[in-house]
Formats: sequence, C-alpha cells, structure tokens
Amino acid sequence: MRPSPYFSSTLQYLFSIALIALTTLFFFALRDFLDTTLVALLYLIPIGVITTYGGFTPGIASALLSFFTFNYFFIKPYYTLAVHRPLDLVILIIFLVVSVVLSRLVGRAQTGLAAANAREREATQLYELSTALAGLHNEYTVAQILGKQVSALLQGEHVEVNITGPQPVRFCLPQVDAPSRPPELTVSIQAARSILGEILLWRGTPNISMGETRLIQTFASQAALALERARLAQAESRAKVLEESDRLKSAILSSVSHELRTPLSTIKAAASSLRGHDVSWDSPARVELVAAIDDESDHLNMLVGNLLDMSRIEAGVLKPKREWNIMAEIVGGVLARMKHLAEEHKLEIDVPEELPLVPADYVQMEQVFTNLLSNSLKYAPPNTVVRVRARVDGESIHVLVSNQGPQIPLAHLERIFDKFYRVTEADRVTGTGLGLSICKGIIEAHGGRIWAENLPDGLGFNFTLPLLWDGKSAPQLPMDTEIE
Amino acid sequence: MNNAPHILVVDDELQIQRALRTILIEKQFKVSVASSGEEGLTIAATAEPDLVILDLGLPDMDGVEVCARLREWTQCPIIILSVRDGERDKVAALDKGADDYLTKPFGIEELLARVRVALRHSAQKQGTQSKVVKAGDLTIDLAWHIVKRGEDEVKLTGTEYKLLAFLAANHGRVLTHQSILINVWDPADADHTEYLRVYMRQLRKKLEEDPERPKYILTEPGIGYRFIADE
Repeated sequence: MRPSPYFSSTLQYLFSIALIALTTLFFFALRDFLDTTLVALLYLIPIGVITTYGGFTPGIASALLSFFTFNYFFIKPYYTLAVHRPLDLVILIIFLVVSVVLSRLVGRAQTGLAAANAREREATQLYELSTALAGLHNEYTVAQILGKQVSALLQGEHVEVNITGPQPVRFCLPQVDAPSRPPELTVSIQAARSILGEILLWRGTPNISMGETRLIQTFASQAALALERARLAQAESRAKVLEESDRLKSAILSSVSHELRTPLSTIKAAASSLRGHDVSWDSPARVELVAAIDDESDHLNMLVGNLLDMSRIEAGVLKPKREWNIMAEIVGGVLARMKHLAEEHKLEIDVPEELPLVPADYVQMEQVFTNLLSNSLKYAPPNTVVRVRARVDGESIHVLVSNQGPQIPLAHLERIFDKFYRVTEADRVTGTGLGLSICKGIIEAHGGRIWAENLPDGLGFNFTLPLLWDGKSAPQLPMDTEIE
Repeated sequence: MNNAPHILVVDDELQIQRALRTILIEKQFKVSVASSGEEGLTIAATAEPDLVILDLGLPDMDGVEVCARLREWTQCPIIILSVRDGERDKVAALDKGADDYLTKPFGIEELLARVRVALRHSAQKQGTQSKVVKAGDLTIDLAWHIVKRGEDEVKLTGTEYKLLAFLAANHGRVLTHQSILINVWDPADADHTEYLRVYMRQLRKKLEEDPERPKYILTEPGIGYRFIADE
C-alpha cells in the first residue's frame, strides 16, 4: 500500500503516541467522575481516528498502547499493570479485542479505498494518454506526449523517450542532457513484432514502486500502439503518392509516345518511299522527302531533349552553370538559330548593349529564349510582331517576350507553366507541352521569377533574373592596352 | 588509295558504326572501327590513324580518359562525339587535348567539315603555318599584326588583337573558354569568362557586318568559340 499522503510513517507513530497521551491526560483529569467502562469505550475514538488516517499498523500500535495506559492509569490498583478485580480484567480483555478488531476493519476499508483511488488515478491517466495519442501521425508528437505524461505522473528528474526506426526520434524533458548516472527505470516500447523504442526515467527518491513500473509499462504499450498506427498511416499515404505518380507517369508516357510517333511516322514514310522505286532519283519529291527526314529528326531530337530537361528539373539536378553573360549575345545566338522558323513573323529585338552582365547559365538561358520564342511563333498568326525587350529593374533584369497571338483566359495564365498543360486541344499544335514548364524550372533555378500576362494586343511572357551573384555585381574588367 | 587518310571510329553503338563507316568510305577515307575504349587504344597504337572519332559514352572507360591516354603519345586529331547536355564532358575532353566535338545527333556535313578542319590543322603542324588568314572581307596578317576589313585597316586594342590572332591561328577549331583565357590572358584568369564575353562583343562589333548574327566569330554555347575562315 502506498504511504498515506498526510504523514510519513515516523510522523504517524509520533502522532498516534501524542493522541493517545493527550486522550489519557484528558481522561486522567476526569478519572474520578468517569466509570472505567466508559473510559474503555471513549478510548476507541482516538484509535478509530488513528486507524482512519494512519492505516492498520498505527491502529494496532495505538490499540496496544491504549491497552497499557488504560490498565496503568484507570484500572485499580492505579500505576501498576496488575488487575485485582475480575470485572476489570473482563473489561480490559474486551477493550483489547474491540480495539484490535476496530483497527483491522477501519484499516482494511482504508486500504481498499486507497487502492480504489490509485486504480482510478491510473485509469484516468491512461485514458488521458490514449486520448492524447489517438489519431497522431507524427512519431515525435507521440514521444513528446508520452514523455510529458510520464514526467507528470512520476515527477521525474529527467525523462527521455527514444523511438527507433528509419528516422529515430528523441524527446527529453527537461530539454537538457540526461544525468550521467544510469536511469532508475528503463521500459521498452514493445510492439507485436519488434521493439519500437524505450522510455528512460531518472528519479532519485523516492524509489519507483512496482505499481508505477506497471503503469509506465501500460503507457509504453499504448505508445507502441500509437506508433504502429502512425507508421501504418504513413505507409498508406506513401502508397497513395506512388499510385498517383504512377498514374501521372502513364499519362505522360501516352502523351509523349503520341508526340514521338508523329515525327517518326514522317521519317519512316519518307525513308521507305526513298528506298522503294516509286520516287525517281532526280525528282523534286526526293529533295522534299529528304528534307522532311532531316527536319523531323531535328524535331524528334528536340522532343527528347525537352523530356530530359524536364526529368532533370523534376529530379532537382538542373544546376545552372553560372557565368557573367551578355544578354544581347544570348538573344542574338538564339535568333540566328531560329531564323528559318521566324520567316512568317516580324521580330523586334530591344535588348540594349548597355545592360549589365547577367550571372546566368548560357546554354539554359538560350533554352529559355528558344522555348518562349517558339511558343510565340507557334501561336501568333503570321505577319504579326514578336518582341523581345530587356530592361534593368532594381537589382534584377526584366525580360518581356511578347506576341500578338491569342490571349489566354485569366484562369489559365498561371497554369500554362504546368507540365503537359495546354490551353487548346492537344491536336491543334504539336509539342510536348513541356517548353514553358522547362522555362519555369530554369528561371527558378536561377533565382528568378516567370509569369505570363495578357497584353492589349496579345500575350506576354515575363521573367526576371537577379543581377547579383552571391551578393556581388559584375566584376570590372582589367585595363586594356593602347590601340595598336 | 594508300594515301587516303585513315580514320578510327571508337563508338559502341553498332548503328553509328555502320553509318559512319559507310559514309566515310564513300568519302574516300580508310576506316577502322572499335567498340570499346581498350580496343580503340589498341587499334590506335598499332594502326596509327590520321584522325580519331571518339564517342564519350563508352562501356568500358570514360571517353575523356581515352582522350588523355591517346594524347600521351600521339598528336593525331581527335573529334569527340557526345550527347546534348554533356557540356562538362565535352569541355573536359577538349581541355585534355581533343580537337573538336560534335553533338549527337549530328548532320554528316558537319562531321565532314570538322574532319577536314582537323586534318588540315594536323598537316599544318607538320608543315609551315600560313601567316595570313582570310575570312570573307577580313584579312588577318599574323606576321605583321595587321587586320583589314576590305581595304581598311581595323584598329584593335592590344587584347583584342591577341584574342583575334589566337582565334584566327586556330580557325575552324573549337576553342574552349579556358584555353582562350589561358592563352590570351593568363592561367590565373581561366575562370573569367566575362572577359571573353565583353571582348568578343567588341571584336564582333569591329569585324562583323551584323554583330548579333556573327559569321566569323561563332559562339559554341557552353563550350567556347570558333573562328570561321575561308577554306
């Protein structure tokens, strides 16, 4: 049985002795007016009180003490333990029997009550713990709640909860290093198939009782259940994500294989008719077929390149190889290469010479301009103007590639940078639907921003690139020698 | 046909081997084929080809490594083949001594042009190097340090001239950023690509009709520059 909360055991005995002494003194003063039998009955009151508050053992002790003081002070001859009258002897014996029986009865009731209280407390704490743990999906939170409950229950000096697994978790309360001595109590968090962790408890005094150990073990098994639940939930959500990405992949695959097959069909048709004898060697058809093979294989190459870029962006391995570059040179290079595609449009380029050097990956920036321009050329009607304009805007450079093509509904403006997103039906325009999302990936990898906007006469693609590289602006060039 | 240049193709893809062999033999070259780096090194050592076409993605060893091992004992031109986005590998191989590169897939005209330039350069190394380079209306006299556009002399700064002279002396070949910076500036400046960007721009403005669409000084994105002269 746990010690009474009111007294430590020494104090209890002192209290019992004091109470009996006080009672004796009181009765002694009134001895001449009181009958011996009445005194014996009255002595039962302090014994009852002591048993109620002190429990069984102090009760018995005070009963024996009372027996002697009663005999000594109130049974004639006074001040001896001798008994002369047979009646007194009977009273004395009855007193002893009654007081012992009383002590035992009251004591047992007390013990039962204390045990019931303790059980109720345990049940309440367990209930609180399992409510707190219910529905948790985070292992650290489980450890945290478990640690706090154990600490609150035992007033431990230091509680540590360790959870093992792919991502081990440790929670300490208070959040300092554990005492250097080994913990007084170690309870493992045991699930059906494996040990998930352990609870370590440091509490100098008082010693941890069996009951407390049992309670902590119950806590641990509750925590084990919660952890298993959390892990199951995690596994389930992982499975869902995998399933989702699987579905996306097959969507991509079907879109891509459609896109790849189109140029392949052209190549196959052209090559096989060249191989057969239906096209004579010097006919203009032959030149055309050969040109088709050449063009379509370039197209195919571009598609594969886009796919590779996209997977690289997805995997987060698209690292720009930054160098100080001249924007006008990058744009010029792209335009020179795209000349044959831009024959039906008017190009207006406004990328001033005086712009500061831009810290960017030359090849990737070429790709951005290529994709934005080819998008503009693809959607804007022939004989319209496609513009490229670059300006300094604070600490970044702001580029606008605009065309006089159809505007895009507001709801789609952001989504056109999503993978495989098309405003129009897939069959109208060829392409993987990856160009703009690659631009977005590249610009963001450079620390810039990209967005589309509807302009009064068409559509504009905007992007910004920071002009500072690790906080520094473009370096000064060394002095040149004199003109020769 | 004994004087026909001998080309060694090192590539593990049978389709590429077949295509290159057919085309090169058609163009009157002698062709050997190797499917791995080791085989390539062995054939190179025994047959001493006039030019090596080397794929960077070999099954047994890194193409850059093959390049370095060839350069230990031969100066025969090496043209590397690599996939797109292999800029780092390309630059590494070029800096290890390869002469030029082609990105797969490539047009055969391009390949033949590279082969011609590489063979001419290796011939020049052995003979006397021409001191005057002509490109369109440009004349660059490397002996007298005179650059003319048509009949007019073009005024260049010291660095501009050094840069142009280095490009012109290696016309037709790709020159990596690093090799230009080391030769024209200083080994300590090998990372200062911005010097190149700025000076190339100045040169183009002085030499090209349309600096935005250069005909003589071409940018090889992510790799370096190439000067195109008359054949």
